[in-house]
Amino acid sequence: MLPEENNIPEPDVESVNPVPAVARELKILVVDDEVTNRMVLNAMLKRDGFTVLMAENGKEAIEVFEKEELDLVLMDVMMPVMDGYEATRIIKSSIGNRFVPIFFLTAMTDEKALAKCIESGGDDFLTKPFSRTILRSKIDALLRVKTVYTKLQEQHDELVYHQKHIEHEHEIAERIFSKIIRTDALNVSNIKFLLSPVALFNGDILLVAPKPKGGQHIMLGDFTGHGLSAAIGAMPVAEIFYSMTEKGYSIQDIASEINTKLNKTLPTGLFCAACIVDVDTKHNKFTVWNGGVPSAILYSEDKRIKNVFKSTHLPFGVVSSREFKNDVQIVEAEKGDRIYLYSDGLIEATDSQGVMYGEDRLDLCFANNTDANNMFDELTSSQNEFRGDQLQEDDTTIIEVLFDAEESGKDKDSKETSDIKAPCKWDVSFELGPEILRGMDPLPAILHVLLEIQGLYSHRGRLYTILAELYSNALEHGVLGMDSKLKMSPEGFAEYYEIREQRLTDLNEGFIRINLHHEPADDGGKLTIEYQDSGKGFDVNSYHAETDNNIFSGRGIALVKSLCTEFNYNESGNGIQVVYLWES
Amino acid sequence: MPLNTNVDGNGTINIDISGRFDFNLYQDFRDAYKQVDNPAAASYNINMSGADYMDSSALGMLLLLRERAGGDKANISITGCNSEIKKIFSISNFERLFNIS
Repeated sequence: MLPEENNIPEPDVESVNPVPAVARELKILVVDDEVTNRMVLNAMLKRDGFTVLMAENGKEAIEVFEKEELDLVLMDVMMPVMDGYEATRIIKSSIGNRFVPIFFLTAMTDEKALAKCIESGGDDFLTKPFSRTILRSKIDALLRVKTVYTKLQEQHDELVYHQKHIEHEHEIAERIFSKIIRTDALNVSNIKFLLSPVALFNGDILLVAPKPKGGQHIMLGDFTGHGLSAAIGAMPVAEIFYSMTEKGYSIQDIASEINTKLNKTLPTGLFCAACIVDVDTKHNKFTVWNGGVPSAILYSEDKRIKNVFKSTHLPFGVVSSREFKNDVQIVEAEKGDRIYLYSDGLIEATDSQGVMYGEDRLDLCFANNTDANNMFDELTSSQNEFRGDQLQEDDTTIIEVLFDAEESGKDKDSKETSDIKAPCKWDVSFELGPEILRGMDPLPAILHVLLEIQGLYSHRGRLYTILAELYSNALEHGVLGMDSKLKMSPEGFAEYYEIREQRLTDLNEGFIRINLHHEPADDGGKLTIEYQDSGKGFDVNSYHAETDNNIFSGRGIALVKSLCTEFNYNESGNGIQVVYLWES
Repeated sequence: MPLNTNVDGNGTINIDISGRFDFNLYQDFRDAYKQVDNPAAASYNINMSGADYMDSSALGMLLLLRERAGGDKANISITGCNSEIKKIFSISNFERLFNIS
């Protein structure tokens, strides 16, 4: 049928809600078996700036639809070969996520036939004869719906992309965590533990490392944040923990080092609550550093809570190394003692009513225990019963460590390499020429070499003092030939350092030789430090005579003397030998 | 609204927190202190009387505020804590960093 109101064209001033400028590029398919209808619609839509394609029946419509990116279809109902209903059903079922509005134009007025337009997947209909203005408005409305739909779809796709991205990162985080937490180290006969994937994801870490001379270090950590951000923090923590334990450092040193590292690297707000335990099977004691983790519980064979190690420190990464405190709690250990560490997930677990597990239930669980051997199982089953169906949120981490001198120490045999760093006899020499003396400070590197000796770490402050005082002595009075008498007055003091600076800049010959010689002793060693410089030396005998008057000897040398057991200049006064005895 | 901010006559920035103080409040909490012109000179009061739970990310947010408010010189009070929240502060030893009551 022919539209009645086809005495067009008229200027298109009526379009109230014009589709944006891009409308010109929009593509509309006109499906009608009557050539006149197609012509009229074609003329009208073209004039409005649309690109128009045409089909004579449903089958053709489907073919065009498959080839072209259409924005809208104007569909007749009654057509030969395939009618509009059937074509619409097929198009809509194959369209996937896209939205292409199908708009029925029909001569039928029967309500059922019109309802069928929508049923078969059409988005709107208009009966012929129709007003051109109404048709145009409806087309605009449908195109607007399409725009909104497309935008939503794009946003949806973007969300799906990000979702996948996050899932991928979670997987990475999980993989990093599972590598960090060497579960093989946790599979030791004296340890029982519970560590769920959710807990891992939430930033819980559980580290166990055998000490080189028997015993273990245990650490339970809980990072703020979860996933990748926690995994990033966990990496240096695990590395420091494993490597320092292997080298024989104490948990105090390990705690300080971890704090320094995290404080330097983690952004404010990200930190790690942790508890480190030294299971010392040699001296039968537990040493505990707790910063931000719920109290560790020491439980005896005869079912007494012997001690609770409360959190006495700030978590790792919160304060600078200057403010960090590494003092520990030490308690005697007996065979059969068990120590329990757990994350706050244990206490904060909630049941289906949102009630927390709480400390009272935990205390009760210990009080009701009948056999210390079953304590761990009772603790975990008490948790599971309490949670009921809430298991999916299980982010509890628990570890039980049984004190058994033989068991805890057993693993050292399988790790023979860790004894390499035990004190041994060695010599090392450095010769520092003008280039180094002019610009660099060689002391940290030299100190670092010394600290490779297991046990010397806690002596590092004193060692540094000795090395540094002897170094400036050799440099200033030896190589640079300065007279410390200059420093006696305030003006002289400034002048002294000006001259020092000048001579150092101009320095192009001279040297300082440093020899370090170490011999092990029962529980420590004897370190001999020798300095020799290229200076002229001085009259050692007259120097000795003068020391009592305290005019020549500076505070530095006095300090070195007080730290060393032996202190001797060589004959010519340009060399010095000191001996430092140490115990671990 | 789980988080409300106002500035009183003495120039103290009051941040009221209710419900759960956790990561969901991160944006609001940041907005609350970011609007302060001279953060290090201001004093802050975090009113926790309406809060019933706090997690470690909240501790992190407090550290961020502390840093912004001048680190060791920051003047931040945390008031109205219930016993659970006090316990969390005490386990993490945050009394050393904030005035907690």
